[in-house]
Amino acid sequence: MMVVKVGGRTLGNIPLIARDLVGHQPFVLVHGGGDLVTEYSKRMGVEPRIVTSPSGIRSRYTDERELEVFVMVLAGKVNKEIVSSLIDLGVGAIGISGVDGPTLIAERKRRIIVVERGRRRIIPGGYTGRIEEVRTDHLRLLLDSGYNVVMAPLARGTQGEMLNVDGDQAASRLSSALKPDYLIMLSDVEGVILDGELVSRLTPEEAEELAVRLGAGMNRKLMMAADVARSGVRVVISSGLVDEPITEALNGAGTHVIPS
Amino acid sequence: MEAECPICGSPVELPDDVMAGELLECPSCGATLEVYEQDGTFLLREAEEIGEDWGE
Repeated sequence: MMVVKVGGRTLGNIPLIARDLVGHQPFVLVHGGGDLVTEYSKRMGVEPRIVTSPSGIRSRYTDERELEVFVMVLAGKVNKEIVSSLIDLGVGAIGISGVDGPTLIAERKRRIIVVERGRRRIIPGGYTGRIEEVRTDHLRLLLDSGYNVVMAPLARGTQGEMLNVDGDQAASRLSSALKPDYLIMLSDVEGVILDGELVSRLTPEEAEELAVRLGAGMNRKLMMAADVARSGVRVVISSGLVDEPITEALNGAGTHVIPS
Repeated sequence: MEAECPICGSPVELPDDVMAGELLECPSCGATLEVYEQDGTFLLREAEEIGEDWGE
């Protein structure tokens, strides 16, 4: 069994990713789709707000209206299109979000620090959360019944609200709980690139050391990969834009973080 | 515009365009302070620890 994270920028390659997944069942696929949320937010007159953390990480700020678009686009359009692509290929697939079950339970970020006009400021945390608990019983029921699961990165908050959660974090936490053979994180880059060279193999310790030298985005992915590898799961960070992304990752492409 | 540091009592300069929630450092004691607004006046309180995380 494997967990596959399909980043938003690789969603255009879903037809080939789905075709490749036919031979790698069972799987749980966690998808992104932030760019599509932005597009639909604009169409609906909701202007996305991007905030920057003190360490320079830019992220989407999810207010109540933006959360509505998130649910519609991620748990609706994106999730069902992926499920449909898989069913077209004869793959049994059920699309859910982390709210269903519930599967992902998150703590809402009450307040966050952002940098505005070069100055630090505390603002309310919006409808984003940090995953605190993963319940795998429903997932196992589906997987054991021969279904693959496609999951949108939404969680149920501890106060019963719906929350937007980071897709990489969702896939990582699911992997630590489900203990799949592999967590494959597909994005629009080949893997971890250092001084222009692909880093092909890392221990969790090496991954953590390297993370601090990398730019925003890949650094947090690598920190999460290190955490998951520590739980005994092999993690691959690789390109989702090639013809056979899963097969290539399993054959050594990308950056492998190996449990030590 | 100035406000008083709630830790050491020293005056702390506020920017002209200061906003509630802004974090400033007391130049005297080095404490991290949060600006808040009460009845149209900007005041300072000790900032709570908020850890940075990588969530979206």
